[in-house]
Amino acid sequence: MTSNIESQELKDRLSLIEQMIAEGRRTTESWGWTFVLWGVAYYVAIAWATLGKASLAWPVTMVAAGVLTGVLASRTASKRPETTVGRAMMAIWLGLGVSIFVLMVSLGMSGRLDEHVSVAIIGAMLGGANCTSSIILKWKMQFACAVAWWSAGVAACFTSDTVTSITFLTAIFFCQIVFGIYGMIAESSKQKRSEAGQGAFHA
Amino acid sequence: MPELPELNPVIHGKLRLALLSLLSAVDEAEFTWLRTKTGSTDGNLGAQLLKLEEAGYVAVEKKFVQRKPQTLYRMTDSGRLALTEYVQALKQLLGAAIGA
Repeated sequence: MTSNIESQELKDRLSLIEQMIAEGRRTTESWGWTFVLWGVAYYVAIAWATLGKASLAWPVTMVAAGVLTGVLASRTASKRPETTVGRAMMAIWLGLGVSIFVLMVSLGMSGRLDEHVSVAIIGAMLGGANCTSSIILKWKMQFACAVAWWSAGVAACFTSDTVTSITFLTAIFFCQIVFGIYGMIAESSKQKRSEAGQGAFHA
Repeated sequence: MPELPELNPVIHGKLRLALLSLLSAVDEAEFTWLRTKTGSTDGNLGAQLLKLEEAGYVAVEKKFVQRKPQTLYRMTDSGRLALTEYVQALKQLLGAAIGA
């Protein structure tokens, strides 16, 4: 059988393999940027609420961040295979986003929005989401973020306004910005390792 | 003259080769995604995936998500090994063809 195969056909096969692997590799999920984006959004909302209109700051910033996340994510969605894990991740974060948004807007409109209660709720919810995600993805670093969020939530119940604010800002910095950048670096390294591992196909 | 390797006939089909290559780069993939990437018809794709499944190169998981049937495919270890061996055989043959 092999004696009849032309070298061009052999080259075509190798080219097909390379092309398909490249197609698959483009699907590598990368969500580190969403953590950074939301971390920045939290900071913008906090700064806006502190300096300007507190009632508008959170709803407007959160909706804007949600729309931006949706637009950026949808641009790469068609390149990704739909997987159970991917859907589970989307469900967790979508559920969390809607829950926080609905609750915070309702508390804000009713005039019962208190800094301690807000941080406690957000900390508990983000802790829960990060914990669930870390178990599904088997990612210890994310579980550490969950613990940090829970700690911030608990601290908000017992500490002063200043300490609560500092704890919240610190948790955002480490669990959103630093973790997001770490995630992006980890995803990039994983992709490079994958390319090196697939080198046997290309060499 | 060294003996040239045989190409694995299960992998050699173009669509099956494309499918294994795609699956080698992802954890798992849905039937519809594989159809989009390969531009194949449902019938042909299903038949070729069945051959890969029968050879033990891909594992299939069928379930219902929101009442819609969903079929997930993932490459098995033996599938990955077979693809690696196939690529090595291709290169060996290509080297021989160029040298001839």
